[in-house]
Amino acid sequence: MNGWILLPVFLPVIAGIFLLLMSQCERRRLHQAAGAVLVISAVLAVAAAWTGDKSVTLFYLMKDIPVYFHIDGISRLFVTFTSIVWVCVGIYAFVYMEHEGGEKRFFGLYLIVYGVIVALDFAGNLVTMYIFYELMTLTSAPLVLHNGSREAVMAALKYLFYSLCGAYMGLFGIYFLYQNCDTLAFTPGGTLNPVLAQDHRTILLIAVFAMLAGFGAKAGMLPLHSWLPAAHPVAPSPASAVFSGIVVKAGVLAAIRTVYYVVGSDFIRGTWVQTAWMVLALVTVFMGSMLAYREPVFKKRLAYSTVSQISYILFGLSLLTPMGITGALLHTVFHAFIKSALFLTAGVFIFECGKTRVSELTGIGKRMPKTVWCYTFASLALIGIPPACGFVSKWYLAEGALNADVGVFGWLGPVVLLLSALLTAGYLLPVTMKGFFPGKRDGEKTSAGNSEMKSSAVDIRDAQKKEPSMMMLIPLGILASLTIILGVLPNPLIDYISQLISGLM
Amino acid sequence: MSANMMVVVVLLPIIFGVLVPLIPFKTRRHMTWYVEGIVLLTSLLVWALLISRPDGSFTLFRFTGNLSVSFRLDGLGTVFAGILSSLWPLATLYSFEYMKHEGHEKYFFMFYVITYGVTLGIALAEDILTMYFFYEMLSLVTLPLIMHTLTREAILASRTYLYYSLGGAAFAFIGMIFILTYGTTSVFVPGGVIDAAALGDRQGLMLLIYVLCFCGFSVKAAMFPFSSWLPKAGVAPTPVTALLHAVAVVKAGAFTVIRVTYYSFGTELLRGTWAQMVVLGLTIFTIVYGCSRALKETHLKRRLAWSTVSNLSYILFGAALMTPLGLVGALSHMVFHAVMKICSFFCAGAVIYKTGRNYIHELRGFGWKMPKVFTIFTISGMALMGVPGLCGFISKWNLAKAAVSSENPLGYLGLAALLVSALLTAIYMMTISIRAFFPGKDFDYDTISDVEDPNWMMILPLVIFVIAMFVFGLHPEPVIAALESIAAAMN
Repeated sequence: MNGWILLPVFLPVIAGIFLLLMSQCERRRLHQAAGAVLVISAVLAVAAAWTGDKSVTLFYLMKDIPVYFHIDGISRLFVTFTSIVWVCVGIYAFVYMEHEGGEKRFFGLYLIVYGVIVALDFAGNLVTMYIFYELMTLTSAPLVLHNGSREAVMAALKYLFYSLCGAYMGLFGIYFLYQNCDTLAFTPGGTLNPVLAQDHRTILLIAVFAMLAGFGAKAGMLPLHSWLPAAHPVAPSPASAVFSGIVVKAGVLAAIRTVYYVVGSDFIRGTWVQTAWMVLALVTVFMGSMLAYREPVFKKRLAYSTVSQISYILFGLSLLTPMGITGALLHTVFHAFIKSALFLTAGVFIFECGKTRVSELTGIGKRMPKTVWCYTFASLALIGIPPACGFVSKWYLAEGALNADVGVFGWLGPVVLLLSALLTAGYLLPVTMKGFFPGKRDGEKTSAGNSEMKSSAVDIRDAQKKEPSMMMLIPLGILASLTIILGVLPNPLIDYISQLISGLM
Repeated sequence: MSANMMVVVVLLPIIFGVLVPLIPFKTRRHMTWYVEGIVLLTSLLVWALLISRPDGSFTLFRFTGNLSVSFRLDGLGTVFAGILSSLWPLATLYSFEYMKHEGHEKYFFMFYVITYGVTLGIALAEDILTMYFFYEMLSLVTLPLIMHTLTREAILASRTYLYYSLGGAAFAFIGMIFILTYGTTSVFVPGGVIDAAALGDRQGLMLLIYVLCFCGFSVKAAMFPFSSWLPKAGVAPTPVTALLHAVAVVKAGAFTVIRVTYYSFGTELLRGTWAQMVVLGLTIFTIVYGCSRALKETHLKRRLAWSTVSNLSYILFGAALMTPLGLVGALSHMVFHAVMKICSFFCAGAVIYKTGRNYIHELRGFGWKMPKVFTIFTISGMALMGVPGLCGFISKWNLAKAAVSSENPLGYLGLAALLVSALLTAIYMMTISIRAFFPGKDFDYDTISDVEDPNWMMILPLVIFVIAMFVFGLHPEPVIAALESIAAAMN
């Protein structure tokens, strides 16, 4: 009986619903309960993932469509990094959510979304994946509108509608694949029926493109990217962290499943679909970095950075070569740790100092050096400076592009990646540099007479050294050190991935 | 159960309905018992019929030659009669509470009960004349229900309804004449009755007549350009809009379209012709048009009415694909949409009944004051937009399956329209829920302190519908298998 692998799905979902329905309770009790459920489910999820390939059919939705879960290499990878990030961010949130309020609702939904994502990672066929993909959208939307302000509600609606738009585009493709595939169960190499596929080639290509563009909405790919910069600044920081680190990865997972496990990479190799996908990804990489570079609000800057970085992954996938996928999967894992660490730092700045704009962070390094060091490590990793982990994934991506048979994109891709890396340095590092080296206080003389302005502009520099509490610092430290450790010792992961993708081509 | 029971279930509500205003009830409670009793009895008899499935037909009377009023229960009729007989008692229960504030209850219940019999007549009709007869009657007996409040708006709405319905019936009549002339028989036969030899080279004419007939019958199903009567008719009391304008009357339109398409003209004659292209085009356009209008609408019931316009065209689209799979898709949406839409209408009715608010912008913060109603409303909204696990996903899946396998470019286009419509549905339903549950930080709940959930008579039907949505959404196989067996008879 493999039914127990669904425990990490049901346990957090049921516990979460229970939390939502329960009447108000003491904070400590709430934290204990939520924390216990979170850790137990994460342990169960990882245990389920790493004890071999297992499958379980829950029930039949329609007579030829089972709700079917199957754990394979990809599930293992996704569940593992999801669980690590989810637990770290969850612990951090116990402190952070104090100033946001509504903790019961937040942790209830936080648990539910975790369960749904585990189910999404474990899904064994396209319809099951779609079910949990859509459920994830619906259950995660309330996390965005947590503070209930008008802005947050609008952002949540935007997120909801963009994601649904993407999901329906995906569904459009699923309908066609259902008719033209031997089975919708994920099979390395694809299940497209060659005879039927030959007859319906044009419409199938359109359908696959609709799926890639649709799932790209979740992953922040052009043209459906703009929910990301809207949703992140208004969501509580822990929510932003898991959104950027994990939820957007659902789009990546869906694209991997579609291309490599159902359609088969051979079907789209060399077609206009591959070209269009690559173009969209590259344009997004560049545009996301550019927008991030120009953005003054810190969390929004990080959101644009996510837009750009996820498209690195999509670009790697669009190459349809083992090297490209390796780079993409590595970047998926690394980016999850990096970006959640970055958002957690942004959360610390908001929580401790109430600062949301980059320009207000001058001198922050004096106030909380450890936090800023964590931020710096994660930034270096994202830029791709060795030995931090981003270097490894970007190396594979560039190498993959150069070796792939994709014409002009073979060199254009690496160039765009490099440009974007420069921009990444340009938008991330100023926080560190200004943070540790605030320089002369410009306008000191003019503001001397204006005490109000002085207090708002200068207080960070004059403040005593004060780190956030350990509950916040430790999860942040873990995530930040993972970005370095994985950069120094990437080989186990690379070996695992190369073994994983050997059957895909 | 013998076949003459069919005439009983049709006539029982009609006759006892007429008696409602004549009987001197001592109290209101007696009247409600009487009405619920008739409706329940009829439903029980219908269920007995559906289970025993008598094979014969029953002729009530005969005009001349082969023109008769006769009944017969076949698969398609089973579906429609099943929907009606399940929903009518629940809707009646709901209206006892709701109609307290509307007045003229006796006349209301008279027509409400009569309509039950008439729609059953459509479901059980054996031949096209009987169906046409009850179809016309349906227009007439539902007219007073729309007019019920006797406001100027209501009278104008009922006038529009009458003109549209009569106009549609006229076109349908032309179709009927041609079927009687060129058909081998007047009764409904799976696969059609048109005699190719008698038709000769008049096939083009027949296609034109089909388009006219399709449009005529789809007036009741509110297909574009005949859709504007439906939102206007939203002035009627909510039990009417919910049961008749989301289920009985409009689905009678869809039902008659399916009858003439699959059982009279026959898909063999129509598939791949320009006539099919025209009707497909109209339904696809209506799918998007209805949703767009719903999005623009700020009046709660009218928004739901436009949503009905769009959803009915899902059914018509499935029917117009003219494949067995299309029929399965159409019928499954017919069943599931009935549950979803009546549920959302009842929620709207509960809001109107308890608070008198009619516009969506007035609903801020209601989610916390009427938690049961708005939770159920949200679930029904999710079902309408096709969230997996609820029944809307299943019927869309079936429609999509039919559209893809039809290999018809317009089918593909229709599939795209279905998904665009799903997105628009999400927008116009979810904005209501979000507004109700998240009114904004500074919202003052004292302004809506009078708002509360209604009593059990209104909540019970809602709960039953929600359960049905989940059951159909998670375990649709029995229903789908039954529908597939109906469609299998087509080939």
